[in-house]
Amino acid sequence: MAKNRIVIVGAGIMGRGIAETIASTGTEVILLDRTAARAIQGIEKIGEDIDHEIEKWGLTVSEKKAILARIAPSTDLQVVKEAGIVIEAIPDKKRQKLELFKKLDDLCPDHTIFITNTATLSISELAAVTHRPDKIIGLHFLNPVPKIPLVEIIRGLKTSDATYNKVREFADQLGKTSVLVYEYPGYVTTRIIVPLLNEAMHVLMEGVSTADDIDTAMKLGYGFNIGPLALADMMGLDVVMSWMENLLNELSEHKYNPCPLLRKMVRAGQLGVKTGQGFFKYDSEGNRVKESSEEVRVKS
Amino acid sequence: MKILVVNCGSSSVKYQFIDMQNEFVMAKGMVSRIGMSGSVLTHKPHDRSEVKVTGDILDHIIAIQYIISILLSENHGVIKDKKEIEAVGHRVVHGGEKFAESVMIDGDVLRIIRDLIDLAPLHNPHNIRGINACMKALPDIPQVAVFDTAFHQTMAPVAYLYGIPYVMYKRHSVRRYGFHGPSHYFVSQRAAAMLNKGYDEIRTITCHLGNGASVTAVNRGKSVDTSMGFTPLEGLLMGTRCGDMDPAVILHIMGREELSLHEANTLMNKHSGLSGISGVSSDMREIIEAMNEGHTNARVAFEIYCYRLRKYIGAYTAAMGGLDALVFTAGVGENSAVVREKCVENLEFLGIKIDPEKNRAAVGKEMDISSPDAGVRTLSIPTNEELVIARDTLRLINSQSQ
Repeated sequence: MAKNRIVIVGAGIMGRGIAETIASTGTEVILLDRTAARAIQGIEKIGEDIDHEIEKWGLTVSEKKAILARIAPSTDLQVVKEAGIVIEAIPDKKRQKLELFKKLDDLCPDHTIFITNTATLSISELAAVTHRPDKIIGLHFLNPVPKIPLVEIIRGLKTSDATYNKVREFADQLGKTSVLVYEYPGYVTTRIIVPLLNEAMHVLMEGVSTADDIDTAMKLGYGFNIGPLALADMMGLDVVMSWMENLLNELSEHKYNPCPLLRKMVRAGQLGVKTGQGFFKYDSEGNRVKESSEEVRVKS
Repeated sequence: MKILVVNCGSSSVKYQFIDMQNEFVMAKGMVSRIGMSGSVLTHKPHDRSEVKVTGDILDHIIAIQYIISILLSENHGVIKDKKEIEAVGHRVVHGGEKFAESVMIDGDVLRIIRDLIDLAPLHNPHNIRGINACMKALPDIPQVAVFDTAFHQTMAPVAYLYGIPYVMYKRHSVRRYGFHGPSHYFVSQRAAAMLNKGYDEIRTITCHLGNGASVTAVNRGKSVDTSMGFTPLEGLLMGTRCGDMDPAVILHIMGREELSLHEANTLMNKHSGLSGISGVSSDMREIIEAMNEGHTNARVAFEIYCYRLRKYIGAYTAAMGGLDALVFTAGVGENSAVVREKCVENLEFLGIKIDPEKNRAAVGKEMDISSPDAGVRTLSIPTNEELVIARDTLRLINSQSQ
């Protein structure tokens, strides 16, 4: 086992989701973060997430025990020395990621594959700071990782077929359907969903319809599981805006210009589910509070 | 001939090594936690005490290698030469409609078992892994597949078709398959022997009551109906499975609780049954204990469990137009006098009547527990699926070499 460890760097929401998904398929994983407190808190939060799934009948108490037993917290980057796969899931800041990739490249044996979970950064650029550009690949999971059956596999310019095949097999083992994406800003999912969310915000801002009605129209009209505004709330409005800005920077296309309403709400700290207020209102558990008077009203 | 019987789960391999000359179990054991830290082989030779061996058991191939080496080991082994393992019998869960009996495994057979993954996504992949591992470790010896579903392939369409569009059967192979075949087969055969009757002379209902539970109507040696269906979820109330219910219930719940397919599946398979109703346990012993201490829902769970089985006994007696023997087997069936007594309550009109004293005495042993004046023999018979697998393996090898 030792030489083929799977190490996840970053115990944030994506790192935790990936760890839970891997562990629930019976594979052991190390969850690494800068401080012991963060790593341990990461494991605790996974426990809380699983509790929610148990409440929804998705898992059992004994499965929770088994899953948690397979996730080991760590703060020691040296553990990557015995890793077959390292999954990077730190915040989407380019400078930090480049630094981490350099360090990993020094520590890891030659065969180790580096997977980045970046939603918008360039795989080829991350690969360029290592001596193994053929073994660098993107795996874009969507939140919540354990529940979303899709993963995008992103090939950088120099990613090898061998690396791609291994990572596709890895995605299969996780029970995810994978789609192959050649590196381009926003890949498939982010690039297509972002203008849709932005357009919904414009429709709201222009007073064409209420937030609730916009979501209902898209849900029932086109079979979306969740309306665009509720989806933006769930993703975090700041996150949506940062994706748009990254796309705008890379592609300079007007269609990625964040809607003024989105900018305003982010500046006011109304970031969606996580702050209790976005286009809709939420309680501390993250459940929608159904009160039409609480919806964002836009006066024209 | 000495035969290795193998039963592969997702992270475990159970095995027995049987000398078929006298059907003697020379050793048995289990590898658990395959691919995880703390993987361990537990091995019990017939004449010495149990040993545990820990190691890096990364996959089923290594697990099989561990099993072979311990069978050969000086201190804990039971054979001197690998050649003494003359055949391997594999338990395979789903044989679909392709396999009505056990088969020698070759490339074609393996391909069909692989095609059946669609019907048994949780089990067939591990069974295939075990077969591949044994083929690698023991390349020159015959390997036989014994299917959980095969015994029930004698059912007629009237028993195996569901009342949904026929095209679903044609298109997706949706029908009743039934499970626990080797167990129902073994105990129904034993029942005939205990009654001193031919296997094709008697009508038997066999109740396999383990963690999963199913009941089968065996009419003159043939399974004519069984309670598990397309999957092992249908039929009796089980430890954590709901068994029979109105299928519209799950659609309603999915809507009300906004459940995904996966969540709905787990709700019925892992959160229901004795455990879901009682909130106490999925283990019948703990249910009975709690019930005796006055736990209301434990009693309700216990009563549903027994009532459901009683209904099936009545239904299958009707299906066969009568009954000669009623058999209880597997963990609960072999050991719980309380469950047996409750299940046959008020069935005197069918000729089923047990002797309370004999019933209490029958714990894990083969025994006729009926009262002398009963028209139907009620039997407690310990099951032995491994022996069925070993016997079938031997039979196929002998018939091939002829």
